[in-house]
Order: sequence, then structure tokens, then C-alpha cells
Amino acid sequence: MLEIKDLRKKYGNFQALDGLNLEIADGELFGFVGPNGAGKTTTLKIMAGLLSPDEGSVRMGDMDMLQDSRALRMKIGYVPDFFGVYDNLKVSEYMEFFASCYGILGLQARKRCSLLLEQVKLEDKADFFVDGLSRGMKQRLCLARALIHNPDILLLDEPASGLDPRTRVEFTQILRELRDQGKTLIVSSHILSELSELCTSIGIIEQGKMVLQGSMEQIFERINSSNPLLISVFSNKEKALTILKSHPCVQTIAVRGDEIKLGFIGDRQDEAMLLQQLIDADVLISGFMREKGSLETLFMQITGHEEEKAVLKHEMESGI
Amino acid sequence: MKWNPVFRRELTVGSRSIRMAVILVVFNGILAVVALFNLYSVMEQVKITAEIQYSRFLDLYTFVSAIEFIMLMFIMPALTASSISGERERQTLELMLTTTMEPREMVMGKLYSSLTTMLILAVSALPIQSLVFVYGGITVADIGLLFLCHGIVAALTGGIGLFCSSCLKRSTISTVCTYVILVLLVAGTYAVNVFAYRMDLNEVNSYVSALASTVRRASSGGFLYLLLLNPAATFYAVINGQAGSGDLRSVFEQWFGAMPDNWVTEHWIFASLAAQLILAVILIAAAVCTVTPWRMRPHRERRPVRRAKEKYKLKTAD
Repeated sequence: MLEIKDLRKKYGNFQALDGLNLEIADGELFGFVGPNGAGKTTTLKIMAGLLSPDEGSVRMGDMDMLQDSRALRMKIGYVPDFFGVYDNLKVSEYMEFFASCYGILGLQARKRCSLLLEQVKLEDKADFFVDGLSRGMKQRLCLARALIHNPDILLLDEPASGLDPRTRVEFTQILRELRDQGKTLIVSSHILSELSELCTSIGIIEQGKMVLQGSMEQIFERINSSNPLLISVFSNKEKALTILKSHPCVQTIAVRGDEIKLGFIGDRQDEAMLLQQLIDADVLISGFMREKGSLETLFMQITGHEEEKAVLKHEMESGI
Repeated sequence: MKWNPVFRRELTVGSRSIRMAVILVVFNGILAVVALFNLYSVMEQVKITAEIQYSRFLDLYTFVSAIEFIMLMFIMPALTASSISGERERQTLELMLTTTMEPREMVMGKLYSSLTTMLILAVSALPIQSLVFVYGGITVADIGLLFLCHGIVAALTGGIGLFCSSCLKRSTISTVCTYVILVLLVAGTYAVNVFAYRMDLNEVNSYVSALASTVRRASSGGFLYLLLLNPAATFYAVINGQAGSGDLRSVFEQWFGAMPDNWVTEHWIFASLAAQLILAVILIAAAVCTVTPWRMRPHRERRPVRRAKEKYKLKTAD
């Protein structure tokens, strides 16, 4: 279990992290989401040991990772949002150089490098110069480099940015494989649709604070519970509207043809009871469902600026 | 044997670059041209006077050594001043800092790489330098002392380069700063001594004219010891002892006035080499400290005191 408590970091007058708390279980693929400048990279850099926090702790089990630097470096692999490659160095040499930085030498290093290059599908590029690789290949090479010492936790800062859709899918597949191998992955990204498919849990950070954290099921439950309820009425619409107007969970009602859109604050049980009530009143229902929400909608709701929030609120209230 | 990973990588990358070959050609080309001109002038002298001036071969040694020294002073900062800042610019420094390799190894790897380049240059220049052995006058011990002097100067200039490179983000600024520090060490310490001597000379002259009798001789005072850090002064002392008059004291007294009689002035070469070596070690250690991320520093340095101070201020305000 990786546990971050009350992490604070200030750059001059700018409070990058303001009491960040985070818990990530072993084997999770954690999506770290937030707008630019929210503090994602700072958090990852602190976890990688590259930055000092002003306050707070990063613990892995019983171990304080800010105190035990060698253990931290052995347990963590870091893939930053840049490549960091050398000119005039071949792919195999690049990998072997970083292997030697971890004290992995000789045959052991060569075996490990070829295994990882195979894993990231770069085995045929071993004798290519690094600066001649494509962006996607460089990103995969960086991932292989971060795995050279077989770390338990992998930190990835915007790993899919700038990659074409095909490369992105391939990269995502590699991350899934790593997750299946039992590694804990922390992925910071802006591509929320991918995160929602890939991650087992997610955390949304804004202005240095964790504003929402949970498993994907919990997050989607929350997204859906805040979405409007869509009822398609086949007949007896007037009666249906009368029932709905008097229902305590209904906040707003918008009617478009046979479709009624409700601002409904109840849970699944309330939804079931409302449906039963409508059926008992002889209202013929052809459709009854929550509008599907996305991570983007939630992200915008949570991290949006006041104007965006106002627009969203207005849209919710007016039933648009 | 475990190789320093950075040193090994630098050798691999360096062996692919044309830079080293170009440096070797230019360096030895200049030395060869100087040596050939010297031999040519000796031969021309023989045609005119019908006698061989053996002292001219010592001049050849002095010329070649001086050019070698000047080129070392120029090349070494160029090699080291962009070493760490270059890693920072390539964004590979962070990657290395997340590994289990210690920053000390990283900095030393860079230094070894530069010193190896210097060693290759020095060894490649040996055939030209050995021309002086044909007629004698210089012993192997003399060459050894010159090599030691060059080695320590390389360590010092390398240390300055590494320190600037670790402190500054841009390689260009780092290179400029390294050369500025080097100029201050070489020309600055000399200028300070000359200025101090002139000032003291004026004072002594007016004192003499006022009292018409004095026993005090003008000198640059304590500023003289700044010259211990001047690589050019050390090189001059070494060459003067081997191929010059051998009387360093009289030369220094001519330039900077009276020299005190003590252990340092009696063992100037040794003292200056030791001082420069110590300065080099301090600079390299400072570079290591600058590169070291916060987590590897002793515990007491880690926790920033700003918040504690803020809390204290709040408490005292209450």
C-alpha cells in the first residue's frame, strides 16, 4: 500500500501541493487526473525522490520512502513526460547503461535488456541509434528503461501525450500487461477516456488537493447518480408528470416529445420505486435509464472554473 | 572490475564522435609546427654561425610544454563545463538521479572522461616532447613533474568546469563562467599582485624620500599567496626550474617585490600544486553536493525550515 499524507510543496508564492492525501493499494493501476498546474508532476517527482516536500510523508507499507532513498530508488521506476535520450547511443547500449546505473552488469544486464525490449516490442531495434527512433518507440524505450530494475511501482507522467492513436493503443496494452504482472502503476494523463478503460482506480487533483479519489466503480456510480434520469413514456404522459412533480427526489423536469428528463437525486432504490409508482398508475413506460456519464463530464464539473461550473449547473437545472 | 557507468558511456559516445580525432589532430599539429620551426631555426643558426646552440633544444621543450599547457587550459574547461548542464539540457540528469547510482559516481565519471581525454592528448604529444631527449638537458623526472603539473591543472580546470556545470542550467553560461573564473585565477591573481606591489612601491618611495633611510622593501604582501592558486604561475615555476634560470625567487621578486622567507616560498611548486589540488577537490565535492538531490543529503538538511519558522512566527505573534 502506497500512502501519501498531507503532502505540501510551495514554489515561491505558488502552492503546488496543499495537503495532498492519497492511498493506492498494491497492484492498482491508478489514474492521476488534474488540470495543468494542479500538482500531478510535482507529486510524481516527490514520489520519485527528485523533489523534497515542504511537509508530509510518502510511505510504502512500513517504510518511509522519503527517508530511505536507496529503497525508494529500487522500488520505483519513473517515466517522465520527456524522453531523455542520448545521441550516438544505440538502444541496447542505452538500456545497458541504465542497467549498470542500478548495478546490473554483464550477462544479467544483457538478458534483462533483451527481455524488456521484447516486452515493449523493440527487440528488432536493439542496434538502432536512440535518436533515430520514432516518438512512440522512444516512449516504449523509456518504459523499458524504467523497468530495468524490476520496480514494484511505476510512475508514468503523461505517457501517451503526443502519440498517434495506434501507438497509444499499443502502449496502453503494455500497461495492462504490467498491471497483470502485479505492478502498481500510477499514470498521470489528460486522456480521460483511456484512463477510464485502463485504470482500476482514479484520483482527481486540483490546486494541489485531492478532490476525488476512488475505484472506477465508485467513480462511475457517482457520475451516474448525478446524471439526469431519462424516461420514455408511451402513453398517459400527463399522469406521469403529475406523479413526477410531487416526487421528493425530482428536482427538475424537462419534456421533449415523449421523453421526460429528470434531475433526480435518489439512489437506485428510489429509481426502482419511482418506476413501480409509474407502472402502478397505468403509465406505459418504454424506457427508464440514467443518462450515461463520462469521466470528462465529472472532470469538468470538479475542476472547471466558476463559469464552466455555472454553465454545467444551468444545463443540469434546465435539463438540456 | 566495475566500470563507472557514466565514464563507460562517455567513452562509447566519445569513440563514435569525430571531436576527439579533431582535437588530437589540431593539438599535435600545433605542437609539431612549433617543434619544426624551432628545429628549422636551429639549423639555420648552424649555417650562419657553424655552431650548435644546445640551449635552443631546451627552448623547444619550453615551447612545446607551454603550448601543451595553454591548450590544456583551453580544452579542459570546454570538456567539463557542459558535462552536467548538458545532461540537464538533454533531460537525462533526472533519469540518472532516479537510479541507485550515487551523484558522486556521476560527477567522477564525467571527470574521468575529461581526464582521459587529457591523458590521451598528453601521451600523444610525448613523441614531439621527446625531441629534447636527442640532445639531453631534461630528465625523465622533469617530464614526470611536468605531467604532474599538467594533471593537477587538468583536475583544477576540470573541477571549475564541473562546479559551474552543476550550478548553472545552461551549458553556454556554464562555459563562459568557467573561462571567466580561469581568467580570474590566471590573470586576476597576477594583476592583484602587480597592483599591490606598485601601491606598496609608491608608499615605500615616499617614505624613503621623507626619511631618507629605510630597510623595508616593497612587496605585494599577502597577495603573493594568491599566486599559489594560479596554474600559470605553477607552470612557470616548473619550467623555470627545468629549462630556465632555476632561480624562481629572483624572478618573483623582480615582478612582485620582496618575497618572505618561509616554507611556502621555499617549496613553491609543491605548495602550489597542493593548493590547486585541494581547490580542485573542494570544487568537485561542491559539484557533487549541488547535483545530489535532497533525499540523499543528511537528514538535518532535508526538512525545510520555512514552515517551522512560519509556525514559530505565528506562535510569537499570538
